[in-house]
Amino acid sequence: MKRILGGMLVFSTMIAILTGLLQLLNWIPSAVQDGAFQRYASIDEVRAHLKIHTVYAPVYYPRTVQWPPSLIAAQTRPYPAVVTEFVKSDDSGETILVITQTALPHPPLVEKLRLTAIRESVSYEFKGRTALLEVGVCRRDEQCCRITWNEENVGIALVMRSSPVELVRVAESMVTRSREAGHPDESSGKEREAPETRN
Amino acid sequence: MYLAQSFLHSLIAALIVDTALLAWKIEAPVIRQRFRLLVIVLPIISFPLYQLMTPERGSALFRLDAFFDMARWLDLELWGKVPAGVLFLLFLVFTAVVFVLQEMLPIAQHTLSSGEGALNGVSPEPESRVTHALEGIPGRKPEVFIIDDDSFAMFSSTGKEPTVYLSGGLVEKLTLDELRAAIAHEIGHIQRSRRPAMVVIFILRVLMFYNPIALMEFRRIIQEEEKICDDVASSITGDPAALAGALRKFYDADNADPALPPEDAPRLRDRIEEYSHTLLIEERITRLEEPASPAVNTSVVYLVVLMTILAVNYYVV
Repeated sequence: MKRILGGMLVFSTMIAILTGLLQLLNWIPSAVQDGAFQRYASIDEVRAHLKIHTVYAPVYYPRTVQWPPSLIAAQTRPYPAVVTEFVKSDDSGETILVITQTALPHPPLVEKLRLTAIRESVSYEFKGRTALLEVGVCRRDEQCCRITWNEENVGIALVMRSSPVELVRVAESMVTRSREAGHPDESSGKEREAPETRN
Repeated sequence: MYLAQSFLHSLIAALIVDTALLAWKIEAPVIRQRFRLLVIVLPIISFPLYQLMTPERGSALFRLDAFFDMARWLDLELWGKVPAGVLFLLFLVFTAVVFVLQEMLPIAQHTLSSGEGALNGVSPEPESRVTHALEGIPGRKPEVFIIDDDSFAMFSSTGKEPTVYLSGGLVEKLTLDELRAAIAHEIGHIQRSRRPAMVVIFILRVLMFYNPIALMEFRRIIQEEEKICDDVASSITGDPAALAGALRKFYDADNADPALPPEDAPRLRDRIEEYSHTLLIEERITRLEEPASPAVNTSVVYLVVLMTILAVNYYVV
């Protein structure tokens, strides 16, 4: 018994050292080169640190979505991408909305909310843009929707645990001007401190 | 990503297994071999198993909180241009090429040539030392042939008609007890070759042809197999010292010509192989001559090691 316990102590210590070493090795690439995928406290920090000047963010959030985002993460290596996640306002353990912005032609980063089955897929036009709106279910058969479209040189994807109506309202609030010939649209590059919510 | 993760998972599994063998001072080669099998088996199944458990394991958020994210290193740009992932891929390709040239080609050549000309061995005379040595071995005995060769050589072939081959030089130099112990060692190989586990291990090793950690671990499994057969021989003859004596003569034969002229000096690769072989023989002699330390209950330890490998590797993406 003594030998087993003694061995357990040595083994546990070595495993703790191993996991510490792994985490140290994991940190090295971000110390050596900028641009690795990591967390940020705000969109402004993303802009300042990674020089991603255009970060699309909604102006409208449903009441069910808690502000501020539970996660803001971004990278420039191997390609620029920004992810923001939001949790439910009444359950901070549940992610309800994920917004990804990825440099074209790369696909959106794999994220927490994923449609496990798509029931309907339609083309949706808004403000001169053509988006793909998909309605389906996420894990645990909850209704989920996804809308994706291209904005200049980035692909934008929103996945939300809600009806498509709410999702579309959030998406439409991300772009302020219609895309017309000869009029480049503005992007909502500033992070709102007090989001507007509507019933 | 599967290739990178299975390489990492096997590296971490190897470190954890080695740590456990040291921490609990596990010396029995049968037990050590079971632990080492985890390094070969687990990395094959861990990635699909983890993905089944947690489909979002590949998500950016999971990777943020992981102990180690391989993508961080693979995406590093060396000299501002070359992704480190390219070098890693080249490293795996190099491993695969070495494996094919060093391991698979000789096996293929041997298999093709084995039908062309069987080894020319002669059965031992009725009153020869080999026959007397065989008499001291209980149970069913394999065919034994003596090859006309002055060097120290001994090997066995398995299958329906297992056979042991001894070189003339070996028969001449070993005492009767040592000869008996050497033959008993080969009988150990013959007995153990019938177990399907070793065939499965070989197949797994071929599947992991790109993974240098799996290949190295397989070699260590083979070394443990030699020690297991030493134990089989000791249990058959009841005389571990005799086998130690035979191994010592092997060791002395291996180190007989230290100062060869440069044109006859073996290549570096061969010297490394010989050094490794010599180290193994030294270890085996020490094991046979020293009493074994009392065994610890390894079932609990095995479970702890298995769970630790699975838990740590889950957070290595």
